[in-house]
Amino acid sequence: MSIDMTEDSNVPYAIRTYPPEKLKDALRKMYLIRKFEEGAEDSYTRGLIHGTMHLCIGQEASSVGTCLSLTDSDKITSTHRGHGHCIAKGADVAKMFAEFFGKETGYCRGRGGSMHIADPSKGNLGANGIVGGGLPIAVGAALSAKRLGRDDVTICFFGDGANNEGAFHESVNMAAVWKLPVVFVCENNKYGMSTSIDRSTSVKSIADRAKGYDIPGVSVDGNDISAVAEAIETAVARARAGEGPSLVENVTYRWRGHSKSDRNRYRTKEEISDWMERDPIPRFAADLVSHGILSDAEVAELDADTDREIAEAIDFARSGPDPDISALTRDVYTETAA
Amino acid sequence: MPVEVIMPKVDMDMATGKIMSWHVGEGEAVTKGAPLFDIETDKAAMEVEAPDNGILHHTAPEGTEVPIGQAVAWLYAEGEAVGEQPAPFAAAKTPEPAPSDEPVVADISHPEPDVSALPQFAPAPIAADRARATPKARAMARKSGLDINALHGSGPLGRIQAEDVLSALQTVPAMVAAPGFSAENGPLSVTRSRGGTGTPVVLIHGFASDAQSWAPLEAHLKHRPLVRIELPGHGKSPKLRIADFAALSRTLRQCFDSLGLENAHLVGHSLGGALSLALADTRPRSVASLTLIAPAGLGPEINGAALSGLLKATRAESLGPWLKALVADETLITDAYVRLAMSGRSEPNLRHAQSALADVLFPDGVQAFDLRAALDRIERPTRIIWGKQDGIIPWKHAFGAPGHVALHLFKGIGHMPQIECADAVGSILKSAV
Amino acid sequence: MNTHATIEAPTRELSYAEAIREAMDIALGSDEAVVLMGEDIGVYGGAFQVTGDLVHKYGEDRVIDTPISELGGAGVAVGAALTGLKPIFEFQFSDFAALAMEQIVNQAAKVRYMLGGAVSVPVVMRFPAGSGTGAAAQHSQSIEAWLGHVPGLKVVQPSTPEDVKGMLLAALEDPDPVMIFEHKILYKMKGHVPEGYYTTPIGKAAIRREGKDLSIVATSLMVHKALAAAETLAGEGIDAEVIDLRTVRPMDRETVLNSVRKTGRLVCVYEGVKTLGIGAEISAMVAESDAFDFLDAPIIRLGGAECPIPYNPELEKAAVPQIPDILEAARAIAKGHV
Repeated sequence: MSIDMTEDSNVPYAIRTYPPEKLKDALRKMYLIRKFEEGAEDSYTRGLIHGTMHLCIGQEASSVGTCLSLTDSDKITSTHRGHGHCIAKGADVAKMFAEFFGKETGYCRGRGGSMHIADPSKGNLGANGIVGGGLPIAVGAALSAKRLGRDDVTICFFGDGANNEGAFHESVNMAAVWKLPVVFVCENNKYGMSTSIDRSTSVKSIADRAKGYDIPGVSVDGNDISAVAEAIETAVARARAGEGPSLVENVTYRWRGHSKSDRNRYRTKEEISDWMERDPIPRFAADLVSHGILSDAEVAELDADTDREIAEAIDFARSGPDPDISALTRDVYTETAA
Repeated sequence: MPVEVIMPKVDMDMATGKIMSWHVGEGEAVTKGAPLFDIETDKAAMEVEAPDNGILHHTAPEGTEVPIGQAVAWLYAEGEAVGEQPAPFAAAKTPEPAPSDEPVVADISHPEPDVSALPQFAPAPIAADRARATPKARAMARKSGLDINALHGSGPLGRIQAEDVLSALQTVPAMVAAPGFSAENGPLSVTRSRGGTGTPVVLIHGFASDAQSWAPLEAHLKHRPLVRIELPGHGKSPKLRIADFAALSRTLRQCFDSLGLENAHLVGHSLGGALSLALADTRPRSVASLTLIAPAGLGPEINGAALSGLLKATRAESLGPWLKALVADETLITDAYVRLAMSGRSEPNLRHAQSALADVLFPDGVQAFDLRAALDRIERPTRIIWGKQDGIIPWKHAFGAPGHVALHLFKGIGHMPQIECADAVGSILKSAV
Repeated sequence: MNTHATIEAPTRELSYAEAIREAMDIALGSDEAVVLMGEDIGVYGGAFQVTGDLVHKYGEDRVIDTPISELGGAGVAVGAALTGLKPIFEFQFSDFAALAMEQIVNQAAKVRYMLGGAVSVPVVMRFPAGSGTGAAAQHSQSIEAWLGHVPGLKVVQPSTPEDVKGMLLAALEDPDPVMIFEHKILYKMKGHVPEGYYTTPIGKAAIRREGKDLSIVATSLMVHKALAAAETLAGEGIDAEVIDLRTVRPMDRETVLNSVRKTGRLVCVYEGVKTLGIGAEISAMVAESDAFDFLDAPIIRLGGAECPIPYNPELEKAAVPQIPDILEAARAIAKGHV
């Protein structure tokens, strides 16, 4: 390969930083998230699964770019729009689908559903049904790491809507005061349900909130996986060095409505199609091809492989056993030997 | 392969959607993401986009209601042959009333349900006269066979408390044991009406009653000779010592035999019903027909509290409430009626004789005799008349009757149909005897 | 876990607050994962001087002063508990838990269940509670029944110095969230407390006085009022049994039901608002069980008045059950006057 890997070249950060296998896996995960969401939407649309769900189609670069350099012992707390975070942190899509289908074989044994998928074995402390619910929990996880002398960091995903919750301000303040290894990652997709940030938020950029807590705050193009990865790497390095938290704002856009009940009355078709033009997946694929990391054929193969993986995952999920009604109250408390 | 266009689920509780209009005509091309059709759910209307590129065919008609996930059209590739519609449209089901496990409408003309499947039937409580008592007092009374309603309550509002039951058990042992009485001898009292022709009708009254109780019904039976038998210890009959139901039945049979009737219609009420049935079982050739009014003998339950209340009453005031328990419409039990009834029961020896009889027939408030097998054997025309508000013997005992027995079940009637609805009972009897 | 005290260790007199401090001292000294968190618990020593000088012994990293951020602080404790620490979180007043309900009710109580048993939340929260201090409506409430309504939480109300130490240590051994309600009037109360480590079981009521004529089931401070009333009643020939409920959830059915089976009469005494409170639960428990058949008088509930706790001392006293109220109720049912 003959790529110029020097910093001042035009080679994107991710491509000059990560080995080809990692980059290829990043693209695979982006495809997987997109297809997972489409598969989930299709299953929902066909009436095969109930409840509701919040799709992150369009935000794949934010999820994958943020988790790119994390290890399994690093923690994340996620949001109601958490499928992408989950997959980016290494979850098994079959067990995720099984959870959607309410099966005993799902991540939460059918008790959690879309909004509570977690995988503690991969450091994923769980999605959250409460806006801002994961913020203090992430700070607590960082407190544990610091107290127990572990060098893991915690990534706290939250949306633009949560930046106006008291929990956000209390959490960022405490993390800053105690210099905890946590990175607050705001996925600013511009709308808290139907309310735009212009109508809800006093600062132009959510990254500006950092000033109030005297921590670094940076806003990046959340549809550019490389820009996201670079900002996160910097923040994670700072956290691991014991210098405290940072705030990273990934500016992105959800193509779909807030949830499946959304009639999309607050956005124009033009705005949506503009953002669809900025699809993060072909953009990253093109970068990988133009820098010789992957061939067009290899990209097509990834595309096809992830289709297959999703189809198999849905088959696995549908055929799984339903929970036993008699175990309704299991796991309310920890069973302890008498 | 054409691409299926489905009715999408767009809301959490959506089951079907209605196609309002198509944006694209049959046979026209459409691109993925372009508006394809409008739907309306019970909450809102919205636009559905084309799931793929293609030529639209086999569209479901506007106005159709389609279940979610079901096809509403198909998209064909350019040049792809368009044949038959790949699958018919699924019709949206109109919601049906939730299926219940069993029909709830009772219809007497239908086959009767298996009586063993019915819930255990407890004696109907008598709300107006239900004693105020603590749970503990009730439990103690239940265990010791005391009638809680007969106890005196020393608590607030006359509440019967545990100590009231205790003192009752200590000081009034006679309440639980049957009182003694001085026995008599002699044949049962028999009275006959004047007039009437044809096969006579023999009337056998119930427990704690007497021959006078037939008066309201007799008005309807004047066309036949009537013969009333009074049970031992009742009315003018001697107070015989009776060991058990079989002995009582024997006594009655001897009396019947002594009448020398070749053939008779038997009409019995309550205990008299049970005795009529037993008589018919042993003298089938002498019985033309059998009419059982709220009969005993068809199940174990009986309102023991009411029986002991009737037996113990020594004054009109204490008798009245128990007489009211016999009927559904308490206004039938006028003060004058109560006084009259009490005057017939004023003799202590009579009450004691009846108590002794109750003790062998209904120990612990349970019918100690079972005539269901006899009812199954009966071949003569038989009918059972019962009030569905019977507070003494559960009317559902009637459900144990075999198919050839006719049931006449009256709504809003208690244990005394022959008095409470004498006209209706009379016309049933008139057509039968 | 099964060292529940049949206490033979030497005892000495300690105040309730000292007993709590001793329990926390033992925990901090024996388990590195234990941290204390709360407002002004460091050099200040806690609003009620419960933590005292523990900060000097264990340092600010383990006796952590939080900002005045109840939601954030409680959430940090939850997150820390999820990831390896055993935080003891002190609310300055139980009333302030209203600010943190989100994290207590939606997160701490539910995470384990939502995740199908994949995690547990070994957090302990302490709530200085109750009236009698003249602090009026927002600093005097008894909200244990609120939390007792939430599956996933355990809620205790120790009434003696010995119990509060043993129950706090039991709470730390418990893998699930345990909420400890400490009546502020009890903090200065002295009693024998065994030395060293022991636990007092959660979910087990204590019979403080045996009696045959009626059962008085009381909680927290009301236990002491009930015992005082029982002495007076004994002089009148009424032999009252006094049960200290100790745990609101899970409630000790058998001890209560056995007592009612024995005495046939029940008075419930608790400081929380009477309606829809602990007494309602106890009464319903009796009514639904075979103990119903042993009731020989109506049940009486003595609970807080249907109003906020008022400021005026006489009004404040009138707002919660007092000894004369217990006497009156006991006499009434013992003598069949109701």
